[in-house]
Amino acid sequence: MLHHALILTSHREYAQAMRQGLLKLGDAQTRIDVELDPLRAMQLAPQQYELILLDTVLDAMDGLQLLLLIKQQVPAGKFILVSDSGDEASRAMAYQSGADFFLERPRTPEAFALAMEAIKGLFTTSRVDEPIQQDEGEAPVVRIADIVQMRCLSGDSVLLMVRSQYQSGDIFIFRGEIYHAQYSGRSGEAAFHDMIHWDGGLVRIKAVKLTHIPPRTIEIPYRQLLETVEKSDVHGPDIPQTDGELYVVSGQTPPDAAVLSVMQEAPPREDVAPTFFPNPELSTVGDIPLPRVDSHWKVNLTGELIEGSQVAEPERCAFITSFIYRKLADVAVALEVDYFSHMTLLGPHLQQVLVADNMGVRHAVFDTAWTTEDQRVQYVKWCCEQSF
Amino acid sequence: MNKAFEKIALIEGLIAAAFVSAEGKLSGWCANSVISPDNLRFIAETCQVILSANRAEQRPAHTGIVAFGNRTLVFREGSSGLFMAYLDSPTNDAVLEWLFSQVNPLLEAEGVKLE
Repeated sequence: MLHHALILTSHREYAQAMRQGLLKLGDAQTRIDVELDPLRAMQLAPQQYELILLDTVLDAMDGLQLLLLIKQQVPAGKFILVSDSGDEASRAMAYQSGADFFLERPRTPEAFALAMEAIKGLFTTSRVDEPIQQDEGEAPVVRIADIVQMRCLSGDSVLLMVRSQYQSGDIFIFRGEIYHAQYSGRSGEAAFHDMIHWDGGLVRIKAVKLTHIPPRTIEIPYRQLLETVEKSDVHGPDIPQTDGELYVVSGQTPPDAAVLSVMQEAPPREDVAPTFFPNPELSTVGDIPLPRVDSHWKVNLTGELIEGSQVAEPERCAFITSFIYRKLADVAVALEVDYFSHMTLLGPHLQQVLVADNMGVRHAVFDTAWTTEDQRVQYVKWCCEQSF
Repeated sequence: MNKAFEKIALIEGLIAAAFVSAEGKLSGWCANSVISPDNLRFIAETCQVILSANRAEQRPAHTGIVAFGNRTLVFREGSSGLFMAYLDSPTNDAVLEWLFSQVNPLLEAEGVKLE
């Protein structure tokens, strides 16, 4: 049952309708908060919410970036990303950013009812942090590959809600074919491959009526897909070779020799590796030349350094920029204004300029002795050109 | 300090101003808009934290100018505390000079010297 949820959107009417719908999924104690201002939402304690619905596009902020930010604070929370567009790219981006569910904003009563059903289905699955108990009435542990094969052979259209000891995800079967698979942080064929190995393939599954047909992310026939899985079982778990690092998922202890089953590849980094100026492609955007700076860098909304030049201690630089950025978000809320556009700090030896856009903050350090106001202004203009 | 802020409140384009001591006490404030003293103290303290963090990074600064659209938050730290002013206009170095040419004598009369 739903106890406490947050709707984060810039669409007031939709928020009210969704709030009424979500209230029906709970009881008299259920609380659904609505926040129209993403900056204010950043001041809330997200840990209090079991479910957060947020738009992909929010006023002055990218919903995907905000999702990444909040997800870090509430890794076990359920996140639904709502978009005006149901295209494949948006959907893939949503799941890659860690959404548990992607919802195209319902525009008709029928679509709204289907959306509520889907949310209900998502939320009636057990929380991922609850260890499996052999409670009476709970779905038995089954072999996931067998269930998938049986459903496909029957030509079913069904949503399989899969729960392992520490994770949960969904497999969509439509007219006897595996159509789509998803769990937090991954979707498509890769998600299916992972899920089939959860807990050595022995999981709990709840089959529910398919209330909506997701875009197809798995193209190969189910037989071929399952054969691939069987082969990978023979040769050992399928650990794709990528540049990602391997880590032990928090809270999981390798139970036996199948140690790799509890080791997962770190999700691929969405950001590009830091690039360093002077980079001809980056430094020639626009007509305004980059003024002479001691050093400068850019961090994204999650505090990662994504560009830089003459950056002596990248981690510290990224940290201080993010720190100032968050502090100025607090100030903006207190002043009831939009987020800051740029900031100048004047010191006896150094001057600094921070310029924010909706994807991050650029930060430059100037030598006071050699810097004029014109150069600082030029840097702000240069940053604006880079943002475009 | 009240007398100083009565005059500071008359500065053209000033929405609010405050002085917070190094100990975090709101020693004086004025507002020509609905900004509460609590909010002013919170903002001033946040500015102190930003300056303090920069000192820790070996990039000490005494003055900050933050643009929020067409409005600007200006703050300057002295040994006894931090003065901040919220202005209803963009600023440049000339505006800063003009602002502090009016504020400094008023604060100095109260025994406060900014950098």
